[in-house]
Amino acid sequence: MKLLLEISQDAYLIAFFLFCIAFIMFVFAMAGHKKKANRVVHERRWGIIAFVITLIGLAAQIVYFITRWIGGGHIPVSNMYEFMSFLSMMIIGAFIVMYLIYRSPVLGVFAVPLAFIIMAYASVFPSEVQPLIPQLDSVWLKIHVTMVALGYAFFGIGFIAGLMHLIRCVNWAPDAPRKPQVWLEMIMVLIVVIIGFTAVVFSYRGAGYEVTIHQRVEEVDKQGQINSKIESTVYTMPPLIAPLNSEPADINPLLGIQLPLMEAPDWMKGVQAARKLNTTVWSIIGGLLLYGLIRLLIRKPIAERIQPLLRGMDPDDLDEISYRSNAIGFPIFTLGGLVFAMIWAQIAWSRFWAWDPKEVWALITWLCYSAYLHLRLSRGFQGTRSSWLSVIGFIIVMFTLLGVNLIISGLHSYAGV
Amino acid sequence: MGKRNKVVQIVILAFIVVLGGSAIGAALFKSEEVPVVGSRVPDIKLQQLNGEVRTLSDLKGKAVVLNFWGSWCEPCKREMPALQSAYDQWKNKGVDIIGVNYGEDELVVNNFVSQMGVHFPMWLDRKKTASKAFGIRPLPTTFFVNPDGKVHAIKLGEVTAEELDTYIKQMIGS
Amino acid sequence: MVLTSFQNTKCECGHQNAVGTVLCEACGKPLYDDDSNHSILEMRYDGVARKSQKASPGLIDSVWNFFSSVKIAVILIVITLVGSSLGTIYPQESQFVNVDASQYYKTTYGTLGHIYYLLGLSHTYESWWFITLLVMIGSSLVICSLDRVLPLYRALHKQKVRKHDQFLKRQRIVYEHELTTDTEQWLSDTEQALRKKRYRITKNDGALMAEKNRFSRWGPYINHIGLIIFLLAVLARSIPGWHMEYYAAFPQGEPRPIPDTPYYLQNDHFTVEYYSDKEMPEQFVKEGRVMPKLFETKATLFRCVSNCDDPVLEPKLEQVTKYDIRVNDPFEYDGILAYQYDFDLTPKLISVKPMLKDQKTGQSFGSFDVKMSNTETQYTVGPYTLELREKYLDFALDEKGTPMTKSQEPNAPAFVFVIKGPNLPESGEPYMYFPLQKDKVRFQEEAINRDIMKKLRIEVASMNDVSISESTSYLNIRKDTAMPFVWVGATISMIGLVMGFYWQHRRIWIRIEHQQLLLGAHTNKNWFGLRNEVARILQATQLEVDAKAIDRGGNKV
Repeated sequence: MKLLLEISQDAYLIAFFLFCIAFIMFVFAMAGHKKKANRVVHERRWGIIAFVITLIGLAAQIVYFITRWIGGGHIPVSNMYEFMSFLSMMIIGAFIVMYLIYRSPVLGVFAVPLAFIIMAYASVFPSEVQPLIPQLDSVWLKIHVTMVALGYAFFGIGFIAGLMHLIRCVNWAPDAPRKPQVWLEMIMVLIVVIIGFTAVVFSYRGAGYEVTIHQRVEEVDKQGQINSKIESTVYTMPPLIAPLNSEPADINPLLGIQLPLMEAPDWMKGVQAARKLNTTVWSIIGGLLLYGLIRLLIRKPIAERIQPLLRGMDPDDLDEISYRSNAIGFPIFTLGGLVFAMIWAQIAWSRFWAWDPKEVWALITWLCYSAYLHLRLSRGFQGTRSSWLSVIGFIIVMFTLLGVNLIISGLHSYAGV
Repeated sequence: MGKRNKVVQIVILAFIVVLGGSAIGAALFKSEEVPVVGSRVPDIKLQQLNGEVRTLSDLKGKAVVLNFWGSWCEPCKREMPALQSAYDQWKNKGVDIIGVNYGEDELVVNNFVSQMGVHFPMWLDRKKTASKAFGIRPLPTTFFVNPDGKVHAIKLGEVTAEELDTYIKQMIGS
Repeated sequence: MVLTSFQNTKCECGHQNAVGTVLCEACGKPLYDDDSNHSILEMRYDGVARKSQKASPGLIDSVWNFFSSVKIAVILIVITLVGSSLGTIYPQESQFVNVDASQYYKTTYGTLGHIYYLLGLSHTYESWWFITLLVMIGSSLVICSLDRVLPLYRALHKQKVRKHDQFLKRQRIVYEHELTTDTEQWLSDTEQALRKKRYRITKNDGALMAEKNRFSRWGPYINHIGLIIFLLAVLARSIPGWHMEYYAAFPQGEPRPIPDTPYYLQNDHFTVEYYSDKEMPEQFVKEGRVMPKLFETKATLFRCVSNCDDPVLEPKLEQVTKYDIRVNDPFEYDGILAYQYDFDLTPKLISVKPMLKDQKTGQSFGSFDVKMSNTETQYTVGPYTLELREKYLDFALDEKGTPMTKSQEPNAPAFVFVIKGPNLPESGEPYMYFPLQKDKVRFQEEAINRDIMKKLRIEVASMNDVSISESTSYLNIRKDTAMPFVWVGATISMIGLVMGFYWQHRRIWIRIEHQQLLLGAHTNKNWFGLRNEVARILQATQLEVDAKAIDRGGNKV
């Protein structure tokens, strides 16, 4: 068992690096050749090489998945680490489907990094195999969670294509309207912040930083009595924000500043909300620093810098890919995220719909994409506007996946650990 | 053709109005499962202390004060004298005062009654069905029921002699 | 689209169209544009007039028109989306049991929480405005679908093969070519190629129409029907008797009635198991975490056969069946469902069966059964009679020193018996009995009963004579008659979605006049697929075309 789990972790790393290489190959395929005459051959050759590397990466990920399943004794989609890594696998799968339909290597330039950013992000969460609590011990875990991940993956590719459409179409001429430029660059900043977050986590983890803060928690028990107990939270980053009602701890000052700076606001109710908020603040700091560094290096907004890569792409095709991917994802998400979710909820919680925050956000995601699909019927909503909707849709997906567990607590809260 | 269309339209809109209206109406006027002020009281059928089975509907036409209590509850003990004197004052004037004991043994109720020196009618809610029907949460809770069987007032917690007096006077309309 | 009431809707081909028609129902000629317009045609609903497009709407028509608009539908969806997100800011009232909401939000979340409560957002999803939104979405689903599906059905049902020049030239995919070969031969080759791609062909002197997957056009409407059934099923749960839901405590060994049914459910035994350290990751063990492995209530269902509603007599029960209720494995019988919800492992005393013993000889006169609830008042043990005079389940003394009970739970039971018999006074002698060892010491049983305990003792022989409920299992009891309809609605909806999204309705029109080939093609989704298919079909007839070149593009704004 132990051996299997070791193989599993190695396969995960191998997949990660293969995707990084595939990404570089895709970029090389699109940007590598200067001479116009050879561009098509160059693009095709390197595009195929990159695609094959992606396929090998997927194989490594499948090895990770199967060995972990056998080694852990249950399907590895039961916590955040497992779900996110499964999601990245599904995104690669959805990318492969869309690539085979549209034969567009430039899609790889964006889809493959989305997958490995999510893989890196997954590694932030505790990766130990943990046994299943009774609430999760059901066949519906397999069916519901995998379908949801697959639906999200197609929405992810829809987001990627929409984003590419926006990058391709935004006008950077000096006299062009500023608003689309600014909004698009904000999306870039958001992505950099997520990368910055993983960078910060891994730097502190590498340095072995750890500090424990104790917190007084009051709980009302069944008899209606208020019990006060001490809960401790382990911080792996310097605590700028401490939990509510925390006891003063002996923490080394950071750059001469006494820590923690403040306590978390009381409306944050999620599991270990303060620690997560602290991490968020750190990732914003890290992300903005990283963004500043990139801007210094390329001396242009990121989106403007990427635009030439997409010159060869027809915006209509990007729009079509985005719409197609979202349209493929929609029935899958409806089935996995709503119908199967309802069936499982009926079995496990006794009610097919409990208005639990996670459920509500799944409904919001669904409503958002159905509004998108209805708007596509009218011509005014094709192209740029539709691309924006597909970007917003995926942001809602990410909020449903991560944000709900950070800010709101509910029946799904055990999924956040 | 046009006429048939119109009929179809009207039928569908009527369906929407009826079904949608009932859904919205249900949200607006939630039907309470437990009696609230103004609603009709559920009928309860209980054994009276050392006596026969009584039902609430038998008392229709009289104002009824239903006091739910338990022997472990301090405020229940404190309010007993007030209830007893109200009983003595109003028993021949169309007002019934009834204590409903929350699921205790007859022995315990008997001891309690003699210890407190009260003798107004006590009903034994052995299976706690009456308390459930009335949605009793804290003890004591006192329901004031109008002669027409509708709830006049609900008092959560200890009831005072003044409150008893006020509510009873309101109920019998003097 | 501006509609004027006196517009002539008769097409040049002789067909009389309904008001609101954009493209002639017969030949497809655009009715409003002049011939110099070359932009791509709006093909929505095949250009037919929707039901609601009337020359002069009255009140009913106006309401109908309002709900028949997709724009309104999208606006309703967006409002619902925003509204439901508001409900997730703080936990909803429905997630708590036994909490006074008017105080809870203020004390837990401060002023903002109180405002949240006052706005009624603490029960967003039961509020009148949210239900109204759902009702409006439901109405929009019905009316939008009806308004489109019938005219669309008619239009697709009686398509004319020969389409107007303008109609073909203004499709998104258009191909024009001067044929050099025999046109009849070319047409039959093309037909072959189309059939291979599973197109259905209709021909009419020199014109050809190929069509496939028309059924996918019905996908959205089937999906909407499913959604309507789903919404109606949810609504049906408010029919009296169709829906029941409550949480209840089931102390071990006590059958509890399920209201409005003849059934009683009993918790025979509750188990909670935890994972061993070996089964958990080292990190968890280090943190001292415990993870549950199993929650299980072994339950027995009884049916009441008599004395069911009697206020005094105990009901007579007959066993129906047994089941092990676990999380993710509820018990179902006769439409009633029982779910494992919570548990309480505090043991509770049910009864004791002490012996009456002679203090000097240690000789036992026999034993008697003292139940904590519904305690009997008369006992005969050997030559002695015991009469229960006082009973306190949670014994204590008040400020005046009078005995009292602190609660109705048997935490510290005490019983006062008056014992009569040999060597005892005629009127009997009192004996205050504390079944629990801790109470015997705390309340000094020996001192209270000093005299009588020189002669007699009430004592349990062993733990076997003490009956204890080890745990209380909290179960969620439900009845939901409308559930099958919910699932039917969801299934129909899914079928519609799959039909609509994974197949596309494709049509190709071909017209040949004097060697001049004119081809137009239309699909409702996936232009990329259609243009490749058209290019490949043309390639099969030796016409080399670039797939990209025949697509005029639909999104150029």
